[in-house]
This record gives sequence, C-alpha cells and structure tokens, in this order.
Amino acid sequence: MTKIIEFKNICKEFKIPEKRTGKWSTFLNFFKRKYKIINALKNVNFSIDEGDIVGYIGPNGAGKSTTIKIMSGILTPTTGECIIDGYTPWKNRKEYVKNIGVVFGQRSQLWWDVPVIDSFELLKDIYKIKDDEYKDTLKLLNEALDLEQLLPRPLRQLSLGQKMKCELAASLLHRPKILFLDEPTIGLDAVTKLAVRDFIKYINKVWHTTIILTTHDMNDIEALTNKIILIGKGQILYNGSFDTIKNKYANEKIIQVEFAKPYEKILLNGYELISHDKNVAVFKTKKDTEFHTKAFINEISKEYDIIDFSVNSLSVDEILARLYKEYELQEK
Amino acid sequence: MKNTYVSIFKMEFKGELQYRAKAISGIATQFFWGIMYICLYMAFMSSDSVDGFTITQMASYIWLGQSFFALRFPGIHKSAGYEIANGNVCYKFTRPINLYNQWFTEYLGEKLASTLLRFLPIIVIASLLPTNYALSMPVNFTAFILFIISLIIGGLLCVSISMFSIYLTFVTLSPKGTTTIVATIANLLGGAIIPIPLMPSAIQNVLNFLPFRYISDLPFRIYIGNISITHGLIQIGISLIWLLITIVIGKLLIKNALKKTIIQGG
Ligand SMILES: Nc1ncnc2c1ncn2[C@@H]1O[C@H](COP(=O)(O)OP(=O)(O)OP(=O)(O)O)[C@@H](O)[C@H]1O
Ligand SMILES: [Mg+2]
Repeated sequence: MTKIIEFKNICKEFKIPEKRTGKWSTFLNFFKRKYKIINALKNVNFSIDEGDIVGYIGPNGAGKSTTIKIMSGILTPTTGECIIDGYTPWKNRKEYVKNIGVVFGQRSQLWWDVPVIDSFELLKDIYKIKDDEYKDTLKLLNEALDLEQLLPRPLRQLSLGQKMKCELAASLLHRPKILFLDEPTIGLDAVTKLAVRDFIKYINKVWHTTIILTTHDMNDIEALTNKIILIGKGQILYNGSFDTIKNKYANEKIIQVEFAKPYEKILLNGYELISHDKNVAVFKTKKDTEFHTKAFINEISKEYDIIDFSVNSLSVDEILARLYKEYELQEK
Repeated sequence: MKNTYVSIFKMEFKGELQYRAKAISGIATQFFWGIMYICLYMAFMSSDSVDGFTITQMASYIWLGQSFFALRFPGIHKSAGYEIANGNVCYKFTRPINLYNQWFTEYLGEKLASTLLRFLPIIVIASLLPTNYALSMPVNFTAFILFIISLIIGGLLCVSISMFSIYLTFVTLSPKGTTTIVATIANLLGGAIIPIPLMPSAIQNVLNFLPFRYISDLPFRIYIGNISITHGLIQIGISLIWLLITIVIGKLLIKNALKKTIIQGG
C-alpha cells in the first residue's frame, strides 16, 4: 500500500488576543496586546494509505477540524511537515487542491441564490472539467444521490439533508483522489444518514477515493470503516482498528436488575453497583472478569428477591465515552 | 470549456439581476439624493459659476454620479465580507483559482449588473428636468468617447480600491466597519460627496495626486467639458497607472493576508 497522506510532527498554535480588564485596560490594549496561546495540535503524526476510509474521531475541541483544514491547504501549521499526494498543501495550493474534495458539514460551498446546477456548472469551469467527463460524473452522482429533483432549485429552498447531498456531489465533480469530510452527517435524519454512508462507501469503491471523515456519530464509523485515528486535546491517542478498541471492552457487561421489593442498601460481591433507585439497580462487571449468568443469579439470589434482569454490552457511544474518560478528555 | 473568470462574472451578473425590487427602490433613492444635492450646491454657488464650473455643469455632474452610483462606490461584494468574517471563505481556499482575481471578478460582475439595472431610468428622467436641474448632453462626441473610456477605467479602479476592504476585513473581521471607512475616504477624496470643482484649489491640487478622483470625477468632468480633451487624455493615462498600482498593492496585501489568516469557526 502506498501512503498518500503523511503528517509529521505537526503543531498548530492559535494566538488569541486577551483583553485586559481594569483602569488602564483600553489604553494598554491599544499599545501592547496580550496574547493567549492555544495549542490546537501538539506534535501530530500519522499516515494514511491510498484508497482507505479513515474515521478521525475525538471529543469537541480535540483538533479534528484544525487537522482537516491543514490537510486541505486552508491553514498553515506552526511547525511540522505534511505531504499529501506529493504536495505540501499550504505551499503549491493551486496545484494541490485540484486533487482534493472538501466538505464542511456546517458550511456551504454552493451559491445561495442560484439553482444548484448553476453552481455545479461554475465549479466545472473553475476546475476546468471536460464536458464529457462532467456529464459522466454528474450522471453517476445523480444516480447515487438521487439529485434530479434538487438540481434546478436554488440552494436556499433546500432542506438540510438535500443540501448535504448537493454539497457532497459538489465536492466530487472533479473526481478528487482524496476527500475530506468534516462532520458530513451532522443534523441528518436516519434515512439521509444511511444514504450518505452508502454513498461514501460507493465512491470509495468505484473511484478508490481516499476518504478521511470526522464525526461524532459512532454508527458512521461502524458502517464505514474499521480504521480510526483518535485525537484528544491536540494529541493522537490511538491509531488502528476500531475492533481492537471494541474488544477491549467486550467483556464489560451492564446488568439491570428489578427486585420484588425496594431495598435500602445493595451490595453484591464481585460486581460494581452503578446506580440504585428503589427496586431497580444497575451493576457492571469488574475489570477482567467474565460474566456468567448462572453465577450472577446464584450470587444475587442469596440475599435479594429478584423479578427480572437484563444484560447488555457497552454501546459504541459508551465505549467512546469510556475511552475519553480514560484519557481524561472529558471537559469538566 | 469556458474561461473561469467569464463564468464567475456571469454567475454574479445573473445573481444580481434577481434583485429587481432592490433596483427600483435604489433608483428612487438615487433620484431623491440627486435633487437634494443639486438644491444644496445651488444654494452654495451664489453666482452662476465657481471657477468656470457652472450650475448646469454641476447638475450634470450630480446626475452622472447618481446614475453610475454602483460603479463609483467602493464597497465590498455582498457575500465576500461575511464569508471572511464567519470562515465560509475556507471553501475558496480549496479551489484551484487565484482568490484576488476571483473576488475582483465577482465584485465587478455585481457592480456592472447593478449599474445596468439602474442607470438608464435615472439618465432619462434627469434629462427631462427643467434647465439648471437637468442632465445635459455631453459637450461633444470626442468627450463622450473619452467619458466612456475613463468611466470603464474608473469602474475598475473602484473595484481595485474596494479590494483594500477585503484585505482590511481579513485583519479586523468586521466587513461593515472597514467598508464604511474605505468608502468614506474614497467618496470624500474622490468628489462623490462634494464635487471636486467646488473645492478650494489647494485641496484640488492635493487630490490630483491621489487615486480617488480618477474613479468618477475625471469621467464626469470630461463629459461636461470641465476638463479639456488633451488634459483628459493625460489624466486617463494617470488613471491607468493608478489602476495598475492599486491592483499590485491589493494583490500583495491579500496574498499576505491569506498566508496569515486563521479561518474562523470549527
Ligand atoms: N480560529 C481559531 N482561533 C482560536 N482558536 C481556535 C480557532 N479555531 C480552533 N481553535 C481552537 O483549537 C482547538 C481545536 O479546535 P477544532 O475546531 O479543531 O476542534 P474539533 O476537534 O473540530 O472539535 P468539534 O468536534 O467541536 O468540531 C479548540 O480548542 C479551539 O478552541
Ligand atoms: Mg470540528
């Protein structure tokens, strides 16, 4: 496999002016600004193989969007080296961007007042796409995303999900080798989300497009890829398969128990009590111990009268929350 | 395959043509201010002329200004300022295109469409007004041709000066504030508020050394015959030099701003 993206020791500092307070503040601010440094990325290293789909995940403010912006040539890192498809994004920008497509889920690249198809035609001229190639691409995108009805309408008339479909199509008109998606599923309903995921997989398959996406929806990751990069507080914490992480927590079970009558205090040998409210209690298996139904029933019926219980594995969201907590990434 | 900039220009043009209601109210406003200005300066010009600048010429000067308002008002493209302030400009960075040229073309398209939608009704109505208040015909045919040429250069110069607002928006992130400052300076020093022939000659001499009066003062004064053909030709040459200088400086400034810029929002 050839590496298409390489990130070496990338650091990004944001310098934000800090306002003084007090008697002479305005005066002092005018002459000498005080700055606060935010280290958005600290020594970030990773590489991505050609043709891969990679999920770039991490809590809010971790540095995901900053990384995407550096990769798409929008931001210059403070220090470090980044080679993508042989280019340094923030150097030969005009040459480099011909090979990439970018979608920021919270922004729009299409023109507001004019029909979507007019925006597409303008992009065609900006990227100097040949007529027949454009026709083919548009046909393919049209079929995959069902755009026919949307194209003649101005962007301002489209719903969030319809807009996202058009944004995705717009970023692919020039058939980029690499596609960066920053929260492409944000705000979408279940059906549109599925459509977008299918589309991402499809593009990856037919064009072998390398795709990097950020998301807070772990189902996106589950549906699309096993390769994840986890970032927190500007540092890469994990780079590898999602299954490995899931397996790490596979043993952990959550057991919800319903009692025949309310108990004042509950204690169960070998299990961790998570919550307790009148006649319902939730337990968790202790680290590195396996769960056996029979043993559990034996243990709990020694002292308590139970009616019902259910056993669940951790959901992907819980796993992630656990992971963030383990790395102490949760904002307090 | 079409030329990219032609396509951008067309897109802006098409977008602007949608705002017909805005154009009609614009025409009314322009007309109202035209009358106001003429009455004001008529009261101010106690005699029939000030240094050879007659009341009839003044009226024509004002009406030309109102007709070609968009072409001489250095503002900022309707979305460019906001996209810089809120970070949507990031998409522009991901296109294989020079950003200065793109903004220049976009704004020129917007300005030209806006002018074409407005100038004719104002010119027609203003021509029909009673003498002293009316827009007169150009002094002669040569002057008319030179007027057209210098108006085109002036329109381009207006856009190239507007590009400084784009640069300043990158620095301040406040499109409204910067546009107001740039427009006020350009209008005041370019004769869009007080016609330059009405200013004291010492100030006029200073203004000759600045780019702003080549936006609209020069074409208008060629039209009314306040500047002779020979002088007009020389000054058209000077305006071309200013156009070149402002474009070069604008390009350098924006290149610098893009290097340092931090896109707002996550
Ligand atoms: N323009 C900016 N000026 C100052 N600080 C910034 C700027 N943009 C981002 N930051 C800071 O950099 C850090 C990383 O931000 P980034 O947008 O990359 O986070 P993210 O991982 O995309 O988060 P989210 O999941 O919330 O989108 C944050 O602490 C943020 O406050
Ligand atoms: Mg983000």
